[in-house]
Amino acid sequence: MKTIFRATRDFERHVRQDLERPHQFAAERVGFLSVRAASTGKALVLLADRYHPVADEDYVDDRRVGAMMGQEAIRKALEIALLDPVGMFHIHMHEHRGRPRFSPIDLREQLKFVPDFFKVRPEMPHGAIVFSHDRAAGRVWVGPARIHEIGEFNTIGQPVDIQSASRRRLRFFA
Amino acid sequence: MTLERDFSRQSFLGAESELVLGDVRAFVAGLGGGGSHVAQQLAHVGVGEVRLVDPQAIEASNLNRLVGATQMDVKAHAPKANIARRLIRGVRPWVKVETAQSDWQAADDLLKDAHVVFGCVDGYRQRMYLERAARRFCLPYIDIGMDVSELGEGHYAVAGQMIVSLPGGPCMRCMGFLTQDRLNREENAYGDAGINPQVVWTNGTLASLAVGAFVQLFTPWFKLDRTYEWLELDGNSQTVSRSRQPDYSVSGPCPHFASGDLGQPDFSLN
Repeated sequence: MKTIFRATRDFERHVRQDLERPHQFAAERVGFLSVRAASTGKALVLLADRYHPVADEDYVDDRRVGAMMGQEAIRKALEIALLDPVGMFHIHMHEHRGRPRFSPIDLREQLKFVPDFFKVRPEMPHGAIVFSHDRAAGRVWVGPARIHEIGEFNTIGQPVDIQSASRRRLRFFA
Repeated sequence: MTLERDFSRQSFLGAESELVLGDVRAFVAGLGGGGSHVAQQLAHVGVGEVRLVDPQAIEASNLNRLVGATQMDVKAHAPKANIARRLIRGVRPWVKVETAQSDWQAADDLLKDAHVVFGCVDGYRQRMYLERAARRFCLPYIDIGMDVSELGEGHYAVAGQMIVSLPGGPCMRCMGFLTQDRLNREENAYGDAGINPQVVWTNGTLASLAVGAFVQLFTPWFKLDRTYEWLELDGNSQTVSRSRQPDYSVSGPCPHFASGDLGQPDFSLN
């Protein structure tokens, strides 16, 4: 089943602007997106609803990584999913243009906290997204241990942008 | 470039426009006079996937404007969606076409993962429902429609609209197009010159405006910063102009669609 992440252009602009803000000691900012969802027989559609920046005081001073969230940041994100029927997606940004990729540290850390969202909101998908200045990549959990790549990102606005993983591969091998 | 894929005459849309348009999944509700033109033009510009939904089969009275239809289709009571599929495949055999002979509400699986919704339906209420569905799944909505009103004995006003409604921007109620007065009047009658008067030249003009707005949205050939569009067609003077109604009606963020009104309310992975 193909997974599509969809957000308005204004929403994405707002998120990028927030993630670009400098932090007192962290090299980058992180946050969470709450999403609503829809499905067809062939696709899972994730619809960006709200952005929840991690508060300044909820970062841990760990200079080995760009940003490290403390337990309080995760607790607040879990609470959002507990109170509202939404999926939660961790988000951060890499400072470049073109398609971003999760670092090995990103992948390792996601496994520590994303499955926890199923304890409070098991019927919704959760996951992680990384933005670059103009592109995005992500992974969706459709169960505590069932992970898929987000196959398509749609930015809805003027102009509409469709980022399709399959199109990129076609171009790469052409 | 092949015989089937030569888009050189629209290369001004950008080096990647063929790929971008080839990735688009377009949902067209209503395959009558307006929708059949839209479907045909989507094939010409190279949209890769088109979902066609209309509950009706063709009737003899449709032949005055339904492009692609034949006398044989009337005899066979062919579904309008199937006629549009044949029309598309005749232009671009590689286009993926899905059809549903049903109300669009019954085919909403074809809408949720589309990239754009074309509303070519009759009536204000149906437009309102369709725009609401597009907002729910965060999709651009492009609406066309025409109407004929009697001015006096033997004199008629032919008019139409093409509206682009984008999630996060003003909706058709904000713009002043969908008003309670119009919805109420529709309960009684739609147009004064019989039921749903439609003519091919006006349908074609409005469909062209819609497809132009779509292409401008997906492969812009000049920079536009609008969050909506409402073009009015005066079918009597054959002129198109930007409606000034939104200048008076739009004030601030759209209050009609709350952020929580996204997705399927009953969604569950299980």
